[in-house]
Amino acid sequence: MNQPWKPAPFAYVRPGTTEDALTELARDGAKVLAGGQSLVPVLAMRLGRPSMLVDINAVPELRQISRSNGHLGVGATVRQRQVQYDDAAAAVPLLRLALPWVGHREIRSRGTVCGSIAHADPSAELPAVASCLDATMVVAGAEGVREIPAAEFFTGAMSTVILPEELLTEVRFPVAEEGDGFGFGEIARRHGDFALAGAAVRVRTTSAGSRARISCFGISDHPVTRDVTEQLRSALDATGTDPDESDLRRALADHADGIADDVVDTGGDAHASAAYRRQLIAGLVSRQVARAYLKSLRPHREGKP
Amino acid sequence: MSLPYAYARTEADDTVDVTMTVNGSEVTLSLPARITLSDALRDHLGLTGTHVGCEHGICGMCTILVDGQASRACLLFAVQLEGAEITTVEGLGRQDDLHPLQESFSKHHALQCGFCTPGFLMSSYDLLTHEPDVATEDLPEELSGVLCRCTGYRNIIDAVDEVAHAHRDGLPGPGNCAQRTLVGRTPSGAGPAAAAEVATAAVPGHHPDEIALPTGEPTITVDVTSQLESAPTEVAQVFGDIRLLARCLPGAELTDELGDDWYRGRARIALGPVRLSFDGMAQVLEQRDDRLVLRAQGKDTGGGSAQAEIVMSATPAGTGVSLHAEARVFLTGRVASFGRSLAGDVSRRMFEDFARGMDRAAAGAEPDVGAKPPGAVAILVGALSDRARARLRSLRQRSRDRTTRRDRRRTPSRDER
Repeated sequence: MNQPWKPAPFAYVRPGTTEDALTELARDGAKVLAGGQSLVPVLAMRLGRPSMLVDINAVPELRQISRSNGHLGVGATVRQRQVQYDDAAAAVPLLRLALPWVGHREIRSRGTVCGSIAHADPSAELPAVASCLDATMVVAGAEGVREIPAAEFFTGAMSTVILPEELLTEVRFPVAEEGDGFGFGEIARRHGDFALAGAAVRVRTTSAGSRARISCFGISDHPVTRDVTEQLRSALDATGTDPDESDLRRALADHADGIADDVVDTGGDAHASAAYRRQLIAGLVSRQVARAYLKSLRPHREGKP
Repeated sequence: MSLPYAYARTEADDTVDVTMTVNGSEVTLSLPARITLSDALRDHLGLTGTHVGCEHGICGMCTILVDGQASRACLLFAVQLEGAEITTVEGLGRQDDLHPLQESFSKHHALQCGFCTPGFLMSSYDLLTHEPDVATEDLPEELSGVLCRCTGYRNIIDAVDEVAHAHRDGLPGPGNCAQRTLVGRTPSGAGPAAAAEVATAAVPGHHPDEIALPTGEPTITVDVTSQLESAPTEVAQVFGDIRLLARCLPGAELTDELGDDWYRGRARIALGPVRLSFDGMAQVLEQRDDRLVLRAQGKDTGGGSAQAEIVMSATPAGTGVSLHAEARVFLTGRVASFGRSLAGDVSRRMFEDFARGMDRAAAGAEPDVGAKPPGAVAILVGALSDRARARLRSLRQRSRDRTTRRDRRRTPSRDER
């Protein structure tokens, strides 16, 4: 009978420990399989033809969500959907804001947080979250473990500093502190599709004032992070420090074009022109910075982003 | 899902064994690693309810439940699912006892062409199980993971919304998950198991030790009584002659006697474009003048399989005989996807033809049914018109009921207005 083979043949191995996984990954043509929600389509279209898939789903320590030293550690095979509803994960409100935008429920059932970050799709949500929060990527290799800050992690479209024989074992997100407020928004043609443009925002308000940081995606070959504290301060000068959300958004809009011109460096593609993406970013950033600022004024409660 | 802590490895051209629970039944498949779960379900287990559209995770046609959560079957390799519990649309409800979601889709005309239906059912099952309080206005977004090609979204959303409102305190679980045997529709190209089976079948005189029936509920049960004009002694003669008996069954042909009450045979059934040809064996377990018990198993060339236990008994009734036949038939593969009730109707009519053939055989004439391949059109048309008549009856009954209810509801004050 004719078999409907979609992917090219590959050897399959399911190690039980991280060390064994690393031994397997050292072989030529080996590729990590975690959730597979980005990898399998690539295989189905035969854009990727790895000679071996190393299924890390049987490694117990990679399945953990942990909390320590002000960080939330998310293991390599922790599903996106698990993080969305896990109580411990509520300590990182930006993850909870962003996860409903990642694919669909059916994709999040299997897709992993680490996998999305390691895949580094330019229009994916979680790399932007990692960048905005300056998360730490824990990468294991034959030589030992490297801890890489987000700012040094993404090198281009679908490219990171992870070497083929290395494994992203965990991502550590800093947990929210008193005075943190977050915003997340994106525009896609259909909910769940890859974003045409999107923005993740963190505002931290202390007695010394507010600091704002944005990470935009879908507008470059990697998430673009900027400090927009100055723009927020100027907007607050115009509205007062306890403004109405729509007033603040309008005040921020005066600075949004400049921010958009700065962060959007794509030349545009079949889905949207660069000019359209700049408009989207201008709108998203003013809306989400306003939202995040107002959230940062309220006493921070875990689980309520 | 608890994966075993174990090194498992398969080379690119090898097959690997994977054991999972599909709709309540444990199955072990031997597959190459690159077989997706959607293909394993359809081609290896005959569960073709899971549809395959884009095969790269966009369209959602192949949505099934893995350990209770909706997932794309086309984005999973079957080998990854060792120990997992899979529920497909076949497990959701039974033909005669549909799941509330299925009922509601039917009621709201949410089925449209039906291609996206399994995906929508499984996706909305997951949604309502995990978020029973979902708001109507959130449904379009929550269901956006499945695409409908004929843009029937409005009706689909109405159908899901009604079930959501009716089951805020919990959606009933899948209604058709039970222990039953799932047999591969295809022995995966040229797996070693397939080769062995073919070899066994080719050895003359060889038969297995016994025909084991699957556990669980049969796909079809038949329980029919036919009135024969022949006398008990004449019927006893037919019961005693398996060759003659086989000729009474439409489309059946006895090809070999293997000894020890084992027989090899063939049965051909054609229902419109569907042509099934079973090659198999039967074992007579009990053969008396007035009672015959046999078990049969066969494989269809298209990869389906059937197993059955048939009990026939003849009791004198007036000058003739009342022939009672009971059968439990277990089907897998595309033959099983006919729909239970239609398959049941077809087998019932076959039994009726069989009874007529027996009557002629008992009277010493040629049964005259085995010669032409299954009078299939006649059987199908007969079965369909039986159903049409039954449907008409039930519609008439329903409309009568409605009229009665309406009359009862009508109050004098309304009539006056």
